[in-house]
Amino acid sequence: MSRNTWSRYWNPKHETLPKEELRRLQLLKLQRLVARAWQESPYHRRIYERAGVYPDQIRSLDDLRRLPFMTREEWMACQAEHPLFGDMTTRPREEAIRYHLTSGTSGRQPLRVLDGRKDWSWIAEMWCYGFWGFGIRPHDTVYFAFSYGSFIGFWGAHYACEKMGCLVLPSGNMTTENRVRQIVEMGATAFCATPTYALRLGQTAQAMGIDLRRDARVQRVIVSGEPAGSIPATKKMIEEMWGAKCGDTAGMTEIGTIMIFECDEQPGGTHILEDHFIEEVLDPESGEPVPYGTKGERVVTSFGRGFIPLVRYRTRDMVEKVPHTECRCGRTGDLFRGGILGRFDDMKLVRGTNVYPRAVEAIVREHPEIEEFQIVLTREAGVRDEITVRVEVKEGAQAQWPRIEARLGKDLAAAHEGLRFNIALAARGELPRFELKAKRLQDLRDKS
Amino acid sequence: MTPDAKDLLGRPLTDDERELLDLYRRLKDLSARTDLPPCVLFNAKEAMVKLWNAAVDLGLLYEEPRVD
Repeated sequence: MSRNTWSRYWNPKHETLPKEELRRLQLLKLQRLVARAWQESPYHRRIYERAGVYPDQIRSLDDLRRLPFMTREEWMACQAEHPLFGDMTTRPREEAIRYHLTSGTSGRQPLRVLDGRKDWSWIAEMWCYGFWGFGIRPHDTVYFAFSYGSFIGFWGAHYACEKMGCLVLPSGNMTTENRVRQIVEMGATAFCATPTYALRLGQTAQAMGIDLRRDARVQRVIVSGEPAGSIPATKKMIEEMWGAKCGDTAGMTEIGTIMIFECDEQPGGTHILEDHFIEEVLDPESGEPVPYGTKGERVVTSFGRGFIPLVRYRTRDMVEKVPHTECRCGRTGDLFRGGILGRFDDMKLVRGTNVYPRAVEAIVREHPEIEEFQIVLTREAGVRDEITVRVEVKEGAQAQWPRIEARLGKDLAAAHEGLRFNIALAARGELPRFELKAKRLQDLRDKS
Repeated sequence: MTPDAKDLLGRPLTDDERELLDLYRRLKDLSARTDLPPCVLFNAKEAMVKLWNAAVDLGLLYEEPRVD
């Protein structure tokens, strides 16, 4: 097949399936998934019996709401009671081919997951939908700035690109400087990393005297692992730095792969892979569904992972679902506008005002003179909470500091009901840099 | 396979889909055998899960194959 005649969809049959048929397909898969979970996972049978729900009661998609939620806390407890993997696995350990851990950025005990041969094939398949959808093709040379450890990260994307016939460059534990050199030398056409690391690598290239727009051939930057991938200002910074299109994806270790991706239309949101997942959006307090255009909590059901049935898993991710018609690409999978908007458990209450790190980042990134930042929460005199944004500015921008300080403080206050933010200048190189998920918020209030 | 075989949504299979499904089932049978040399058995398993993906993507089946 000539390169000009590729379908724009990885799976033309189902990515454009009329909504009514998509719902029928989801119901059929849900019924079989719940029956299998009941038969093969003691954990699932236990929680279904406790809720008084049985597989034959799932007769419509509305019946999904009869099923109890799975939570991170229960999963951890299940693994503590039945070490190492809990009793929700449907196969013996001997049948697994891979072991991974959650990233641990939440500070809690990481979850341990096992997957079989079929699961890993499916994990890569989901990434194929996303990479193909953003325009990656077999002739691409794809660079992975990822350390290939027990964090699942881009493992599935690596296999997806091999499956698609791309030339894959796994950079493993290389230094950032060596990665810059290799991207240029090998003429990589696509680059994959966290948004934070895409920026960091760009900054390092600049310090090395390398202009990625001129010296590299990267046309697409695909990011994952942080909500920042869909923050317009962050995306714009990445695109300007690389001279390339930036596309967002999001997944989680609990499902093993991605469930949403940004297509090449860059519609300001990420399509849901609705033939492989059900993505509910619920009010986090009541557990009731919220309508299109309303922020709520993602609750995911996965049809692909065999070792661990994932049915109605509460993610704590904040999302806003909008109809697929908001994108012109023709896919019928709905969108999460702005990708993952943050996490409900990331929210900080500061003097009565809700503060989300992603919202702060969205404002900080509107200031192109800022290179890195950190949010610090403290408690003064044991009672008064203070929020400080520490900022590193780019080389040569120090003289503009009074203006940056005033403007940033004003913008942050305007977006947070007038809450006063302290703005502090950090020395260049003082703030931490990250390769995987960035941890830019320090809550020191209990220690203040 | 019967000529009037259908996908999960009840649509008739195309010739390509019919062939894909047939290949998957044959590889699944091969993967379940215990008398094959490792070089055959494990490559058959790899091939089988790849075709499982294609068949599930197209809605030809939804099942959990026993692979190992």
